[in-house]
Amino acid sequence: MDDVITVHQLRVRTRDKTLVGPVSFTLERGSTTGLCGPSGAGKSTVLRALVDLLPDGLVRDGDLKVLDRTIAPGKGDADLRAKVVLVPQTPVVFGGSVLDNALFGLRHVLRASREALRERAEQALTEAGLWKEVSDRLDAPAQTLSAGQRQRLCLARALALEPAGLLLDEPTSALDEQSRDTVEQSIAALRGRRTVLLVSHDPAQVERLCDTTVLLDLPAAASPAAAAV
Amino acid sequence: MATTKTPARPSATSDEGRRPRPSTWVWSWTYAGALAVAGLLLAVVGYLGSGIGSGTVDWLNLVTESAWSPPNAAFGGLAMIYGTAVVSVLALVLAVPIGWAAAIALSEYLPPRIARPMRMCVELLAAVPSIVYGLIGIAVIRPVIASIADVPGGDSLAAAGIVLAVMIVPTVVAVSVDALSAVPDRYREAAYSLGLTRGEVIRSAVLPLARSGMRAAVLLGLARALGEAIAVFLVVGRADGRMPHGFGEFLDSLSHPGQTLTTKLAGPEPVLAGTSGPHFAALCGLGLLLLALVAGATIWGTRERRRSTRKAGHLPTPRLRQQRDRLLTVWRLGALLLPSALLIGILGLLVTRGTSAFNPSFWVSAATGAAGGGVRDQITGTLLLVVTTGLLALPLGFGAGILIGTHASARTARVLQTLTLVLGGVPTILLGLAGFVILSTSMGWGRSWLAGAIVLVPVVAPVVALTTAARIRSLPPELTESALSLGLTRAQYIRSVVVPYTWPATVTGLLLGLARAAGETAPLLFTATVFFGAPTVPNGIVESPVQALPTHIFTLSQDSGDPQAVDQAWGSAMVLVLITAVLLSAAIALRNRFEGERWTT
Repeated sequence: MDDVITVHQLRVRTRDKTLVGPVSFTLERGSTTGLCGPSGAGKSTVLRALVDLLPDGLVRDGDLKVLDRTIAPGKGDADLRAKVVLVPQTPVVFGGSVLDNALFGLRHVLRASREALRERAEQALTEAGLWKEVSDRLDAPAQTLSAGQRQRLCLARALALEPAGLLLDEPTSALDEQSRDTVEQSIAALRGRRTVLLVSHDPAQVERLCDTTVLLDLPAAASPAAAAV
Repeated sequence: MATTKTPARPSATSDEGRRPRPSTWVWSWTYAGALAVAGLLLAVVGYLGSGIGSGTVDWLNLVTESAWSPPNAAFGGLAMIYGTAVVSVLALVLAVPIGWAAAIALSEYLPPRIARPMRMCVELLAAVPSIVYGLIGIAVIRPVIASIADVPGGDSLAAAGIVLAVMIVPTVVAVSVDALSAVPDRYREAAYSLGLTRGEVIRSAVLPLARSGMRAAVLLGLARALGEAIAVFLVVGRADGRMPHGFGEFLDSLSHPGQTLTTKLAGPEPVLAGTSGPHFAALCGLGLLLLALVAGATIWGTRERRRSTRKAGHLPTPRLRQQRDRLLTVWRLGALLLPSALLIGILGLLVTRGTSAFNPSFWVSAATGAAGGGVRDQITGTLLLVVTTGLLALPLGFGAGILIGTHASARTARVLQTLTLVLGGVPTILLGLAGFVILSTSMGWGRSWLAGAIVLVPVVAPVVALTTAARIRSLPPELTESALSLGLTRAQYIRSVVVPYTWPATVTGLLLGLARAAGETAPLLFTATVFFGAPTVPNGIVESPVQALPTHIFTLSQDSGDPQAVDQAWGSAMVLVLITAVLLSAAIALRNRFEGERWTT
């Protein structure tokens, strides 16, 4: 099974109107895929459809396979979300320390000793490129981190779950230029090792970071080109 | 992104069992809370329903005839409905204009430095137990009516209406101020920069946005006035069958004793009527009528409205703008005098009459004789009731609030929220009677402290649930999304995100609810308390009454001829007000640490 996520003719609609799609694509293991399109095309909505976190009133159509398991609409559960992890656009840190945040997902999913958990946190923080900056203040409140650090902390806590797929929703749009570069470096470092779907409105960023690109067009212009690579 | 939808329950393929801390107990807990709310409401309605079923109720007769005479099997409730209507309308007519004007003055005219402490005082006033307002009615309002209208004693519908007005002014002010200060400042700024006077700014920019909240204040005040038993009981005279014919008799009836629905139910009749038969059925019919009225006012007052689409009304001519503005200012600031005078008056009365409370031995010694000694046992009894109620209401209200706030679908949440609101608005006298029939009689507990604590749960749990649910609604949706996208189950999300985020609001709600429960008299009269002879700490549940401050004051105040009893009553009132003030201050202090919606007054 070399495809982590397979999507065929995915649409997101309200009761009577298609808002997003159709779109089809495949995420190969270890690839970084960019999801591009004009604003309003529903790039973020596609990510949420993949993990069944659509807002009330929206439903998904089309086939979704995650690790060869077909996920029926509305049947995505917590275990799916622990395997395919969405990192939302705005970095949200929870109350508690940096370490608490890095382990926030993992300690709800994995039964392990404190030492083992801590080790996983260190790995994840290293992978997200944050370890050097926070290794001496793991017990400091996470709220004290800068915006760029918070975004990488969000990345780290997703990585700590050792996800099969990582869905990044415009990870740099809420950041200034300097933090953007550090976060981009962290994402670039994942290339080849993690399966990533990156939403971005910046073609240059996709060019820099991604192996393949999926184009998402506005649903009204249902041209064949909208479908995919 | 608005609300985030997830599947209601983990699917069958979930390997949740292997997760650490699956927290599935969350579901049992929240459903138990919601069931408790529904069950308590059902108990009250069921008690009334089975009572009505135990004898035939002639509904037409009940609402059109005014003669009430159980020995002759005459059960006409019109005079009581009339009494309830008169005292409630009188209270609203007096309280609403003053309350609204004072709220506008507080929110729009006074600098925050002065307005802040005054708002807190208003909240304290709104939490003063109704029994204390009843005492004030006896001490001040009755004599005034007696001297004006030449009524012996001064017991009258007018006195009851005025007592209720005094009681609901703080509620009207507090809820209206909340509505006004929720209007963002940018509206005021925009209006001022167009050259409007202050009065015009308030009229055209602020009031249209605060209107629905200010109307809710009136309906909540109305619900409180309709459901109040004790304060009215002490001053209304409780004369049956007084029904005026014609306008002259109507005016005359105001200055004469009357009867309301609540005072009829708070009198000895429900206890004397047994638990079946036409008399009991007729009383239950009155209770159902009362419940319907109060529930109607509560639901109407708190339902969510669409943004008003009403067109701007007639605008005043632009003549004499400045003068008009000044007049408005004078009226609004003047209206503030009344709540201030109330506060000073009530404090003054409590301090001057309740001098016995300043003697430490009053707090630590037991009562002697009919009205001597201290109130140690009453204090311990009240604290026992309050603590037990808190322990019962906290988990139930918290659970119900979480279910309303997170798990339920929009419609279920609305239904649950309405049920909770109605439960919180049930007239406390009905809680007492339901407890008397179900716990004391059917279950054979007699007078029992535990029965009293259980009967007080519906007073506290809804406040806890509603503050919790309101707090959850302010939970940033990104927080929810982040937690769920890290693979937390719904139960884990509640355990690790919702509960830590909500608990300060929940504890605030608990303290607010307990402040109210501590002063409740009506639910305890038949179920839990005796005037004397109970041990300091009850042993057992069955036939284990306590003594409590509110019922102590109630009994003493009916013996208003005995100066010693009056002293004891005021001293106890002082102690009771201090206890509620401590609970309320703790709640306000906690609330000031986070932004939250307020649900009670």
